[in-house]
Amino acid sequence: MHIMEGGLSWQWCLVWWVVALPCLIYGVYQLKKVLAADREALPLLGVTGGFIFILSSLKLPSVTGSCSHPTGTGLSTISFGPWITAVVCAIVLLFQSLFLAHGGLSVLGANIVSMGIAGPVAGYALFRLLRTTSLNVYLSVFLVTALADMFTYITTSLELALAYPAETGGSISSFIMFLGVFALTQIPLAIVEGIVLALVFKYIIALKPDILIRLHIFSEEKIMAARSNI
Amino acid sequence: MFEELLEDIAQKNELREVNTYLKLMAGLGAILLCLLSSSYIPPLCIAAILTGAILFLARVDAKTYTGLFILPLWFAVMSVTGIILITGGEGVFWRWDLLPGFSLSITRESINHGVFVFCRIIGGMSAMCFISLTTPMTDIFTALRQCRMPEAVIDLMMIIYRTIFILMDQVIQIYHAQVMRLGYSAYRESLHSFAMLCGAAFIASWDAGDDLIRAMDARCYDGKFALLGENRPVERKPFLAVVSFLALCATIMMVSGTRSLL
Repeated sequence: MHIMEGGLSWQWCLVWWVVALPCLIYGVYQLKKVLAADREALPLLGVTGGFIFILSSLKLPSVTGSCSHPTGTGLSTISFGPWITAVVCAIVLLFQSLFLAHGGLSVLGANIVSMGIAGPVAGYALFRLLRTTSLNVYLSVFLVTALADMFTYITTSLELALAYPAETGGSISSFIMFLGVFALTQIPLAIVEGIVLALVFKYIIALKPDILIRLHIFSEEKIMAARSNI
Repeated sequence: MFEELLEDIAQKNELREVNTYLKLMAGLGAILLCLLSSSYIPPLCIAAILTGAILFLARVDAKTYTGLFILPLWFAVMSVTGIILITGGEGVFWRWDLLPGFSLSITRESINHGVFVFCRIIGGMSAMCFISLTTPMTDIFTALRQCRMPEAVIDLMMIIYRTIFILMDQVIQIYHAQVMRLGYSAYRESLHSFAMLCGAAFIASWDAGDDLIRAMDARCYDGKFALLGENRPVERKPFLAVVSFLALCATIMMVSGTRSLL
């Protein structure tokens, strides 16, 4: 779900760039660390980037200079944590604006904050929390993906509401309006995306469980338990 | 299912041979001017000039370009309607108190604001289309490397760039195979098929990525992709064209000031 080029005034573009930049710099620092430790992580990062690109290119129209689609960030969040995901997302968003004229360059900062930072950070927090519990792998993946999606949509609504406050009630009432408008498409989408990613994990666990074990995403026991159910 | 990538057009447009920085300067400069302007006129002029450049200089097919604009235009119309309804202001034409503390209205001020945002979106979109239709990503990689972007990020960009095409091929093939076998006949069915599609594409491209790293290692990859990085020299005519375009738009911006529609 991206704000389109020209959708925000330059002041707000600047604000969101200032918010996004420190996260991106920290992400690049972490990326270098991961690549120094295990260079074979590079293809997985590439694959997740491509995956995010494909998933978030399937768009549906929704009002107010933005559109709804699955974000696809769940996979990268679970595998690499939120900061590297922010970098991957920034690249994907740049590609989307240049390949598909979807999103924009001046509003890239705002889109990075909503899709690359707010969603993944919320998803990752939940993932860390769930990993310590004995909850089944698929349910964790579903919840993390759906939450990351919802947070992306809430943040985009906030960005739009701050830029276009309503006459009565200011930003708060326009925030509620944007939330309501996006909820129609985004809540079902978040659920569908959660289900799809949980099923994707099912295929990965069935066919190539070593990927997940090598990345320390889930413990071996959990994956073996999930595998025995298939 | 998937649109044609603009990259394909960018690789064979007529402005392909123009210096990358000049094209980026025209596009980014236009975006900046659109954002800085406080009247609806400059973004419209920018849109008109850049559309002309895309259609007549870059010789992009008019149908493709229109198709590209239809969806954003639709979004823009809806967003502007929303903005007009909630902004309020002086000179009320119509007002509806929906809930206590929340009302919708159409006013002179809100129409002016809406038209302004609409034109800004149109101007910005045409500038972005100009960059994406005339400058292939590979040229942008070279420019980014020259601008001292961290190597790790550029490498990651190139791998993602490559993976997108691998994934796209895989996804299209699997999708057609699934459609033929009635994989999308019912909603439940299509959910399953879509997940299988994503899973299969993911694993296949993981393998492709693994192969890539092995192949690169065999060729002494040391964490930095070699890029040919040839950049065309800055020629006088395109340079003058870009400078006069930006100067013209800046002048229009200054002259039009904060002029509004109503």
